[in-house]
Amino acid sequence: MPKVDMDMTSGRIVSWHVAEGAEVTAGDPLFDIETDKAAMEVESPASGVLQHVRAAEGDDVTIGQPVGWIYAEDEDVGAVPDASRPEEGQATPSRPSEEVPRPRSPEETQKIRATPRARKLAREAGVALGDIEGSALRGRVQHADVAGVLDRVRADPVSGSLPVIRSGGDEGVPLVLIHGFASDASSWAGLLRFLPKDVPIYRMELPAHGKSPARPASSFQDLVRLVRQAFDLLDLKAAHLVGHSLGGALALALADTRPRQVSRLTLLSPAGLGPEINGKTIAGITRAKRAESLAPWLKTLVATPEIITDNYVQAAWSQRGAPGLRDAQRDLAAALFPDGTQSFDLRAALDRITVPARIIWGREDRIIPWRHALGAPGAVSLNLFERTGHLSHIERAEEVAVLIGQ
Amino acid sequence: MNVAADIEARELSYAEAIREAMDVALASDERVILMGEDIGVYGGAFQVTGDLIDTYGPDRVIDTPISELGGAGVAVGAALTGLRPIFEFQFSDFATLAMEQIVNQAAKVRYMLGGAVSVPVVMRFPAGSGTGAAAQHSQSLEAWFAHVPGLKVVQPSTPHDAKGLLLAALEDPDPVMIFEHKLLYKMRGAVPEGHYTVPIGKAEIRREGVDVSIVATSIMVHKVLEAAEMLAGEGIEAEVIDLRTVRPLDRETVLASVRKTSRLVCVYEAVKTLGIGAEISAMVAESDAFDYLDAPIVRLGGAECPIPYNPELEKAAVPQVEDIIEAVRAQVKGRL
Repeated sequence: MPKVDMDMTSGRIVSWHVAEGAEVTAGDPLFDIETDKAAMEVESPASGVLQHVRAAEGDDVTIGQPVGWIYAEDEDVGAVPDASRPEEGQATPSRPSEEVPRPRSPEETQKIRATPRARKLAREAGVALGDIEGSALRGRVQHADVAGVLDRVRADPVSGSLPVIRSGGDEGVPLVLIHGFASDASSWAGLLRFLPKDVPIYRMELPAHGKSPARPASSFQDLVRLVRQAFDLLDLKAAHLVGHSLGGALALALADTRPRQVSRLTLLSPAGLGPEINGKTIAGITRAKRAESLAPWLKTLVATPEIITDNYVQAAWSQRGAPGLRDAQRDLAAALFPDGTQSFDLRAALDRITVPARIIWGREDRIIPWRHALGAPGAVSLNLFERTGHLSHIERAEEVAVLIGQ
Repeated sequence: MNVAADIEARELSYAEAIREAMDVALASDERVILMGEDIGVYGGAFQVTGDLIDTYGPDRVIDTPISELGGAGVAVGAALTGLRPIFEFQFSDFATLAMEQIVNQAAKVRYMLGGAVSVPVVMRFPAGSGTGAAAQHSQSLEAWFAHVPGLKVVQPSTPHDAKGLLLAALEDPDPVMIFEHKLLYKMRGAVPEGHYTVPIGKAEIRREGVDVSIVATSIMVHKVLEAAEMLAGEGIEAEVIDLRTVRPLDRETVLASVRKTSRLVCVYEAVKTLGIGAEISAMVAESDAFDYLDAPIVRLGGAECPIPYNPELEKAAVPQVEDIIEAVRAQVKGRL
């Protein structure tokens, strides 16, 4: 953390411009910082590959402390270097005399409580135990605490892949499920009950949703890239993509670019097949600051408002409470659905699809009109449900599961 | 044990299995003799020898006088001459009277005579609480003997192992101490016919699990298995290891299990302090399995007091199923 102004003692990382593991050239923007007074861009001091990023976005870092390491192209990347020892040749702060390490407070020198297994994992993964909150008695760090941190690191806001939750068995063509806007992987729970138990099921979670609530995504292309990256990491020979609404558009875009790995496609009230979309509901859901103001908008998603019970509203609300989620979704909605219009068009992609594809829609969908399905080529199957709204996978879980299984 | 023996397995009580082991040994090896107080005409304090005297006569099923020191001394001497004596104590508590013969003679003679002789004696100790027999007839003293190099100590928990370990003990050239829990004598289980052995020094995994390794001995194996079933209902899968042999310890089985589950609980009836649980815990802490521990080790042992006569206090003095469930739950959930 460079010292960029006279009174600065620490700086907050606002955002990284370069992902961990990515190449960077000296002079390129590396990260943005914020101090008490100012915000500025920090340029990369060297060329190479960024590794061991130890300061996440939002972290306050004392000046002189490393926030990451840049390795030469052919340099061996080992364990995390000792952070307490500044590297030689590091940009020196302007008044070195003030940077003499101060005596450590008793809290800092106190030994960390951690189980041997937690220590082993932290040691092997190169993470600092001191940064991890322990869940066992007296704050003892257990294996699960370290593993949890590593999981979050893997779903890193900057460089990591999207979270993918696996369930089911090991037989048959895997199902890859992509949820819709303002939803998350848990929205498939009702459908899962009726899907075959032996089929592997992968539920992706989009940025600005679920486990990465504050992770920004700025465009449809951005989402497609991330979904494709997550899909590639699954390394599936064949997959049946199931997408709902925005997830349907993403599934279609993914199938368009990975035709060899996608063997079937099921789209539930997919976006991307026409310009109209209910901007009021999107705005209402992303704007809601209380369960009471969320409930009426949730009811517009279904044909029978009674299924949106108080419990359902509370559960939906608790999932929307994550810090940053509302802002991230509002920004995403502005990019995807400006002025109540779908800004992306996948009709050409649907025309190119050669694998078996099916569109399922509720005739009372008030979010995206079911008539968008009529533009699909003749080879695509179409299933329309009466008395069903935008959430056919919830409203008609069993019937939709049967169609997926056919 | 071969497949044929398995098919022929029928149910016997633990006491019957021991008697059958002695019967098999007496019939097949004329060096085998039984010794002990009231084991002849009376059939033994717990009727384990039963009517063996009718088949093998008083020369091979020998009632000894009421002197544990004397009886044990004769048994050790008989072993030195090449016989294979099985000496029964009425209660393991009375072994305190025979410690000179067991600890100073049986365990050391081979060593002190440079390996010129060995002492192939087998001693049987009815042990444990739960019968209302109070402080001088209810102890679990196996750790005393396990502390002595030169002795082997086993604690069978099933009729199958009671027979197999006794027959293995007879094949062992050195003194083997068998601790039999008195409450197990009536327990029934599958026992193969004829001759078979259960290896000394080999623990048995009675239940596989991934969340916690519970090492138990003797009757505690059954309490732990009961607790494990209840814990499974809460989603905690315990691996239950029946130690079977206290000395020499089956290091590999225990360590492999701890590496797998990352948690260790030791359950034994003997007084907790300075007991088998301490040894198992230290063994794990000293090994590479230490790195896999994800919670403090737990020992559940007997209370730091003589076994009380009052039946409620007697129960409270040794680990019960509820204690095991509560301890494992607290450990797995990070509350220790």
